[in-house]
Amino acid sequence: MVDYYPLKRVAGTHKVHDAEVRTVCRECTAGCGLLAYLKEGKIVDIQGDETDPISRGRLCARGIAFHQGLTSPDRLNRVLQRNNLNDSFQPIDDWEKALDLVAEQLRKIRARYGPRSLMIGCDPEAGLDFFIGAMRFARLWGTPHVFHPLYAPRGISSQHYDISASAPRCSDWVHSGYILLVEADLATTHPVTFGWLMDAKDRGAEIISLDSRFNATMSKADVAMTIRPESGNKFALALMKVMLEENLYDTGAAGFSSSSLEAWRDSFASLPYSGLEETTGLSNEKVKEIARRLATKKPVTLITGKRLSNRQNSGIWRTIALAAGWNKMKGGGWYPLDGGLPPFNPFSDIDAMDSRRPVSEDDERFSEAIDELAEVPQDPELPVKALICSGNCLYDFMSPLRSIAKSSELTIHFGAFPNETGDLSHVVIPATLWPEIECLNFSNDRAIQWGERIVEPVQGLRSGLDLWTGVAQRLADARRLEWKAFFPWKKEDGSTDHRSFFGWLLDQSPYTSGYGLERIIAASTDAHVLWPIDPIAAAGTPGEIEPFFAPSSLEHLPPEAEAELFPLTFHATRTISRSGDADNFRPWTKALEDPDAVQIHPGAAKVLGIENGDEVVVHGPNEVIEAKAWITRMVPKWMIWSARRLGTRHAVIYKKGESGEEASRILREFLR
Amino acid sequence: MERRGNILQMDSSRCIGCFACETACKMEHGFPAEIHPIRGMMIGPLEQNGEFVLSFVPTTCSHCENPACVAVCPSGAMQKRDDGIVFSDLELCIGCQTCAVACPFGVPQLNPQTGKIAKCDGCKDRCADGLWPVCALRCPTGALIYGTPSRVVQDIRHKGALRVAGRVLSFEQGKK
Repeated sequence: MVDYYPLKRVAGTHKVHDAEVRTVCRECTAGCGLLAYLKEGKIVDIQGDETDPISRGRLCARGIAFHQGLTSPDRLNRVLQRNNLNDSFQPIDDWEKALDLVAEQLRKIRARYGPRSLMIGCDPEAGLDFFIGAMRFARLWGTPHVFHPLYAPRGISSQHYDISASAPRCSDWVHSGYILLVEADLATTHPVTFGWLMDAKDRGAEIISLDSRFNATMSKADVAMTIRPESGNKFALALMKVMLEENLYDTGAAGFSSSSLEAWRDSFASLPYSGLEETTGLSNEKVKEIARRLATKKPVTLITGKRLSNRQNSGIWRTIALAAGWNKMKGGGWYPLDGGLPPFNPFSDIDAMDSRRPVSEDDERFSEAIDELAEVPQDPELPVKALICSGNCLYDFMSPLRSIAKSSELTIHFGAFPNETGDLSHVVIPATLWPEIECLNFSNDRAIQWGERIVEPVQGLRSGLDLWTGVAQRLADARRLEWKAFFPWKKEDGSTDHRSFFGWLLDQSPYTSGYGLERIIAASTDAHVLWPIDPIAAAGTPGEIEPFFAPSSLEHLPPEAEAELFPLTFHATRTISRSGDADNFRPWTKALEDPDAVQIHPGAAKVLGIENGDEVVVHGPNEVIEAKAWITRMVPKWMIWSARRLGTRHAVIYKKGESGEEASRILREFLR
Repeated sequence: MERRGNILQMDSSRCIGCFACETACKMEHGFPAEIHPIRGMMIGPLEQNGEFVLSFVPTTCSHCENPACVAVCPSGAMQKRDDGIVFSDLELCIGCQTCAVACPFGVPQLNPQTGKIAKCDGCKDRCADGLWPVCALRCPTGALIYGTPSRVVQDIRHKGALRVAGRVLSFEQGKK
């Protein structure tokens, strides 16, 4: 090999500073090491941590611009309240009084409609403490409805998080033969991690990318194929079928339980290919081509996007990695993006103490899939009367609930910035941002990192855990249990002790328990602690792994009635400069990309008479957005794309002032 | 004999248009959002032989050998240093934008906050402390590399050799 020594990077700051904070960026789940330089408590410079093994001193645009959000003049800094949505907000300057009011209203709703009338949406921007606090509050309160776009509410899903197929470190990708990315636009969502993929490519790894839009990741791939949005798990089922059909790997050595091995193989043998092309956009010949290619070079790293997690059939990825034996090789296995949180039980302490109370039906009904949200507005047995939403979740993953938010008796928005969810709320509670709290971070690489606080929060801002603790305390009589059993981390000054909370959290997972937070904090940044901390104990007994069985068909769901009037597929993803709502309040990243742009294929634009930059209307079954046309081949002819959500998968697009029905007719003709 | 000063090499095959360089530059220089001193321009996707090609090309000041901006600057603000860096001395700049008109690459921009020209200054203040420019340090994919011309060329050659070696090894492995 060539004796290669990379150019010596000379990093540091020349800005005058009086303090330096070494921490981890929490803008996404990559876990980049970050150095913040401060003068008189204010950030004067941000540099990457050169010693960090994940980021190697590099940072993305979001990891630099976040500090503009901290000092944004638009930031929420007072509790706001109103009785109905047509009123103006009135400020409440006393945090304790605000919580009294919220608790009183919640108590009334519970008495009138029962505990299940409360729903909680946890945006990742609100932090892990908000999500875990929400789960424990919901248990105390008696509602099963806690939603997070990435995690099943119980936090435990053996199929999804089983470590036995995992590819732990992006730095290992240089050893991969192939890297297969499915609906994972890594270059956009995790640019620093993508640097490792480019290094792997240099070392001979071949990149195959399957996505619905021709994006930056696909532009660097050796093979790029278009598939239908959110069909990646069905593609994986077909891939597994081909691998078995053509005997591409010795699946007998996979370590699957011998009792289920034959039945598992049979389930794939009897899975018909019919419906595959309609569902995924890929013919079975294409899937065979990919499977045969992958078999030529070992090992393979499978990178799946977060849109495939927490969804039907997501367990198939782990089974593929195990069946092919890739998990046993450096540079092989399954790397689910945003899947770095270890499985944990957020209720084991409560379960142990709460032996008096039988586990209620509600507890058992904790939903496993965010898809179920769409059914909520149609469920007459489920009157939703109170919503607690973080971030801008009513315009994000909770968008199916937007229609019922208008009739909710109490909607609470917990966030750092004013947004559309706040516009639908009765109470707005200002939240801290991640640089203002200390937090445990679980990276995609399964590194456990301690995120030090960079700046002190402005007076009046509270963390998610503060919120839940304060409300739970006021509703202590809602359950026979003491609120302190659910939220034992309250300090004498009324705030919560995040260190003891995260120390507790580490002990709730078999993969991280017993190690202790102090050792994580003390670990040097150039040697991350990875979970499972004790791999031998976590590995379990060989021969007990249950493979993922094939479903009965790959058939596409029957065409929805709305597809007739709304013939285009609408797809919304995040952009490179925007990971969430906060990015609207950072001028540096806000100006980089136009959030109102809607991508349309040149062919579709031509038949509709749409020119680049034209004002257009995107019309879905329940909603309309106005936008500017961006004509590009990034989208296939059957799709339109936007960074903004529409709360639907079907839409029609037309020039402002023209007829939607006529556009539908033209598009149906065009797509035929 | 090697020219004094370092160079910034841009490898568009690694650029993903992520704007990290641009944002880092704005933070370093305190530029407002509308200034784009460096930018990964997206070209495409274009259709070539039935396949799509989407390219990202990092663009910034070329620090020309004979810079037109320096030649036309009426106040002497725009200067070229011995180490090659072309920069505008904000004490002297009168914001007339003659440099912006003269530049064949559209690099100098008027900073509306200061009424003066904003452009890449090669991070000359950082370089004075021996530090790399922020754009190159931040670049997530290593598309920007910085160093003496001979060292940068050597780096490109080594990486090319590694690429070939990697493909050969990978091919050999595939045959097994």
